[in-house]
Amino acid sequence: MGGRLALLALAAAAMIVAYPLVFSGAFMGRLGALVLLSAIGASAWNILGGYAGQISVGHAMFYGIGAYVPLMVYKLWELPPVAGVPVAVVFSLVVAILIGFPTFRLVGHYFSMATIAVAELIRIVISNWDFVGGAIGLMGPATSRTVLDLSFKSSVPYYYLFLAVLAVVLGVTWHLERSRMGYYLRAIKAGERAARSLGVPVRRYKLFALLLSAGFTSVAGSLYALMIGFVDPDSVFGLLISVEMIIVAALGGAGTLFGPLIGAAILVPLREFTNSAFGGGGSGITYILFGGIIMLIARFEPGGLMEIGRRAAALFKRRPREAARVA
Amino acid sequence: MTLTLVQVIVSGLLVGAVYALFSSGLTLIWGMMNVINFGHGDFVMVGMYTAFVVMVWLHGGVGWVGPAAAVLLFGLGVTVYYGLIRPVMRGPMLAQILSTFGLALFIRYTAFWIFSAKFVTLPEGALGGTLDVGGIYLDVPQLIAGLVAIVLTLGMYLLLTHTRVGSQLLAVSEDRNAAMLMGIRPDRMQALAWGLASAAAGIAGALMAAIYPISPTIGETLALTAFVVVTFGGFGSVPGALVAGLMIGVVQALSAYWFGPIYRDVAVYTIFVLMLWVRPQGLLGTA
Amino acid sequence: MLLEAHHVTRDFGAFRALDGADLTVADGEMVGLIGPNGAGKSTFFNCLVGDLTPSAGRVVFNARDVTRAPPEAHARLGIGRTFQVPATFEDMSVLENVMVGAFLRHPGRAAAIDAADAVIERVGLAGLRNARARSLGTPGRKRLEIARVLATEPKLLLLDEALAGLNPAEIARAIDLVRQIHASGITIVIVEHIMEVILSLAQRVIVFDQGRIIASGKPADVVEEPAVIEAYLGHSLKRGQKR
Repeated sequence: MGGRLALLALAAAAMIVAYPLVFSGAFMGRLGALVLLSAIGASAWNILGGYAGQISVGHAMFYGIGAYVPLMVYKLWELPPVAGVPVAVVFSLVVAILIGFPTFRLVGHYFSMATIAVAELIRIVISNWDFVGGAIGLMGPATSRTVLDLSFKSSVPYYYLFLAVLAVVLGVTWHLERSRMGYYLRAIKAGERAARSLGVPVRRYKLFALLLSAGFTSVAGSLYALMIGFVDPDSVFGLLISVEMIIVAALGGAGTLFGPLIGAAILVPLREFTNSAFGGGGSGITYILFGGIIMLIARFEPGGLMEIGRRAAALFKRRPREAARVA
Repeated sequence: MTLTLVQVIVSGLLVGAVYALFSSGLTLIWGMMNVINFGHGDFVMVGMYTAFVVMVWLHGGVGWVGPAAAVLLFGLGVTVYYGLIRPVMRGPMLAQILSTFGLALFIRYTAFWIFSAKFVTLPEGALGGTLDVGGIYLDVPQLIAGLVAIVLTLGMYLLLTHTRVGSQLLAVSEDRNAAMLMGIRPDRMQALAWGLASAAAGIAGALMAAIYPISPTIGETLALTAFVVVTFGGFGSVPGALVAGLMIGVVQALSAYWFGPIYRDVAVYTIFVLMLWVRPQGLLGTA
Repeated sequence: MLLEAHHVTRDFGAFRALDGADLTVADGEMVGLIGPNGAGKSTFFNCLVGDLTPSAGRVVFNARDVTRAPPEAHARLGIGRTFQVPATFEDMSVLENVMVGAFLRHPGRAAAIDAADAVIERVGLAGLRNARARSLGTPGRKRLEIARVLATEPKLLLLDEALAGLNPAEIARAIDLVRQIHASGITIVIVEHIMEVILSLAQRVIVFDQGRIIASGKPADVVEEPAVIEAYLGHSLKRGQKR
């Protein structure tokens, strides 16, 4: 059984690696890169929201910081944007602490509300601050001055760059899952009071998860800026960015390792399709659909597709007679 | 100079009263069920569009607007409760938060799809114009909206404290099990609370339609305003929501007047964040 | 003295739920806390485990003042507790549940798994090692809670109505388990309604009524005291009626 699963996993990995070589058109290449980018952001969100159960509805703020700072670094000092990535991470971590520190000691939905409020606050400030481009936004280098500018014409280098970053995020998550922190986060999600009674320092671990999550989200934002070469407040700080991270993770399976990737593989093409199929009003329909999907997941299967898959697999493992009894 | 200031403050109070109206419903639900409704602002938005549809598409009179919004939103609230909230309440936190969040998106973008992004306003009707009260110019629609809102909020409070139904709602809010032992059906009461809260939001929306331009995405800001008001006033406290709503309205008006229109929302969100740091239980709540 | 509570008082607004409760528990004892509903024993229990902060008085464990310490600190010092309504981690397996407890003393994954397996074996849940907690019935969940807290290697274990909702056969097995735990050297304080349980397990019984301790001593003696009988509204405790 384990052998078959490993073979399947290997095949999937091979397909993912070979994707741009098989689908070599510009549209498909870009789509692939966007799927991976979405998976990175959702996987980052997943650490805090999926594993620790702390639902941030404003993760766009970290994404936006990650997108803006590198382009500001370019604008102010003509450095390659990539130099701004660690700086962006630091800013994101500071914001994360400012939000998490007061709210994690409170019982209730304060954290979630604080994330929307702060995200919106940042978006409004950035929209009205000419220094960072105001409502118009910022542009990165038009063409690559050196390879360090990471400004490629084709999507293929981006695809592999994003794949590498995704591998790192998933690797960290995998290691986390198996470590004490992973178990503690899941315990916090499952029952804070009980977790406390077993010695789990709840507030501290929530903060760890938040910092990890914010840092990776910031990197995702930076990758977006590198690929697209242009940012504006709505495209990186908007609520819809936060929404997408959540729905991608939740559809695939919040709290699972590959859930966000699966969610991204389904939702990003769906989004691109509905956006183009319905023209200008497209984004309306896309988000009606997203809203509906979120409600369905919440109502019927909060564990997402991974959970549905797990239950189906458990049914098939038993003998047919038992499967009938359970179903 | 001070006259203008008074005008600003009065205007803020009137708008704040409308905030209080829709926040009172939210605080009731929150106190009863500890469920956060991310879609509450979008219910207000639906109320606003109801007013628009009634007056502009259906050519109905102003008098129809309030009842139409109330009935429609009451129905929506009860439907949402039975269809989405009740099943999800027993589940994990992720599901609870996602459910109303998804609802918010769904409603918001359905409105976007139907009405598109451009702002619309209600036609100037018999209730237009300004009133000169000793040098202070009051916008008549705003005055009416504010007064109606205060009356209804007080009415909500009286409903809760002086009627049998109200005491049943409060009983479920205090101790669900004890209420069940007394023969009250918590399920029904919670559905009623959702209906009432949504109706209040709808009427508040209809009132706001008279003083604000209507757009599909206004729900997000309104939801946050409601959260701030509810947190400020203390969970479950309708009088708290009233006081907090009025205060937030004034703060907004003053911020806009002193610093510029952008600062309306910035002020509210900043207050919220500061409150979380300093006094999360609100003004009238207990820690 | 392993645990000392000095004059612990707890008010909820104007209502005094607990009034000056004193308790000493020596290392190795098994003490029962009983009393009618609303008598204050749960409030006292929560003050002992760190879920509530007393309005007045002190709680001292192993010569350390834990009056204001949070529950996490209690656990680290060696105080463990179970919950009246089992609070198992529903979507985690039995093993994973117990591992959360084990990680307190064994930060490494392999060591935590071994420690958890040992406790699971001891408690009799080995056959359900990989089952999700959600799939266990009430007796299973209660047993799992006990295993989970045992994995934190407590010196003092506080059981909150660990036997409520069990049928007589399950009660007998649970009593057996509690005896085993006690025999292994863990001091136990047990809050319980069911008389047979207290009478058969506790060496010493403390009786609460209306926020105060009204009696204390050997179970057989305490049930005869008029104040205690009156607190239970005149029903004879010797007939072992559940209250």
